[in-house]
Amino acid sequence: MNKNRLHPIQIAYDPRGIVAVKPQRLAPRLRTFENVRLGVVDNSKWNASKLLRAVISQLQINTTFSEIFMYTKPSFSRPATTALLDRIAAETDAVITAIGD
Amino acid sequence: MSKNLKPDRTSEESANALLVETSDMIEYYFEQGWTDGLPIVPPTPKLVNEIVIALGGEPNFLEARIPPRWGNLTREVLAINLVLAGCRPSYALVARTAILALTSSHFNLHGVQATTHMAAPLMVVNGPVRNSIGLNSGANVFGSGYRANATIGRAIRLVLLNVGGGRPGDLDKSTLGHPGKYSFCIAENEEASPWPPYHVEHGYQKDDSTVFCIATEGPHSVTNHVSNDPEGILDSVASAMSTIAHNNAVSSGSCAVVIGPEHAATIAAKRWTRRDVRSYLWSRTSNTYDDISFRGRYGNIYNRNLPRWYRRESGERIPIVPSPDDIHLFVAGGEAGRFSAFLPGWGHMTAPVLRSINGAAPLNSPCVDGTCEL
Repeated sequence: MNKNRLHPIQIAYDPRGIVAVKPQRLAPRLRTFENVRLGVVDNSKWNASKLLRAVISQLQINTTFSEIFMYTKPSFSRPATTALLDRIAAETDAVITAIGD
Repeated sequence: MSKNLKPDRTSEESANALLVETSDMIEYYFEQGWTDGLPIVPPTPKLVNEIVIALGGEPNFLEARIPPRWGNLTREVLAINLVLAGCRPSYALVARTAILALTSSHFNLHGVQATTHMAAPLMVVNGPVRNSIGLNSGANVFGSGYRANATIGRAIRLVLLNVGGGRPGDLDKSTLGHPGKYSFCIAENEEASPWPPYHVEHGYQKDDSTVFCIATEGPHSVTNHVSNDPEGILDSVASAMSTIAHNNAVSSGSCAVVIGPEHAATIAAKRWTRRDVRSYLWSRTSNTYDDISFRGRYGNIYNRNLPRWYRRESGERIPIVPSPDDIHLFVAGGEAGRFSAFLPGWGHMTAPVLRSINGAAPLNSPCVDGTCEL
């Protein structure tokens, strides 16, 4: 053991594995909701649609959306399909979702 | 306090080795946050290499990516976690089979890892490998005392923690968890069972070895010391199943029932088959719509997480699971004692999976890449 070291040198193993997935950037933030196409994604949890309806009502007090599109994810726990994500991306400028547990 | 120095380049084949300055390797792993809260077995090049060889060599071979962190589980990383857990090399193929089954899309491991529910993956092993590696299927089967059960289950949990990032409060959002999140691996007691083994029911040969995985709560004991017929015993099981408190009641899906050997013998003495048992349980378990809707106390509840064909009207029967096939039945436990167990599942968000050790699926089965969705 090196005299300058307090403890011996040993081999350890990192058990985590590397993450090879590339991080994605967030989409640019909107400056205003005015006249945007709003997507509302209900994840099918117990209270999600109730919560989202309340949020839309509150937002509409001071904001005029050009359109509001409603979407439902059939399973709150499973990932949304690529087809649904593509549709939301094509039809909307902003999206609100809720867990609604 | 330990100190990381640099990656260990003394063994070029390892992408995960580090040189560290420490006098206590067990404390080192605690300090890094790489344990399940219990002390680990410090991996050495020899121990890791023995398990890599048992897995087929090629330490950088990618076996799976583990959600929700999506860490790469190479053979070496799997071997490291097996060593940490205290596994022998002979356990490696069972652990890998479990991992490959758990990471099939049917199982939705991402959801199981992240949910606020307490569910954990239960693994049930069938076939000759049970006895060759010393898995307990008898007395205290869900409890402690056997290295293979304890360390294989622990190794899977360490992979979910370390590679999958399922750390409590971080990516694992479980409100309560349950003790099976340390280790949750049993074997079917094929020797004490009056019926063909579980995997044979699903098309495998008796000499095949398989791992079944289902996301469940912990076991709920079912006591029945008085019935000398199938109906009485299974009515007790049905009673445990028929409650609005578990996730099956409100989210459908699958569940597991473990019949103790004494109960199994009584049931089989009347020539009831596995299918008879599952069908009887399905027909005798339910809530009413009034129960699950709280009799309208909180407004009109439809519950989109139950099948569309359930009749949502006062007095109507709401099954616990959609069909007898959604009750996964095993015989396990000690030879003495008139006990069985019910393990509620997580819900329709996951599907149980079955995979053989060698990855071969039964002929004409709907299995994908060797893993069967049940």
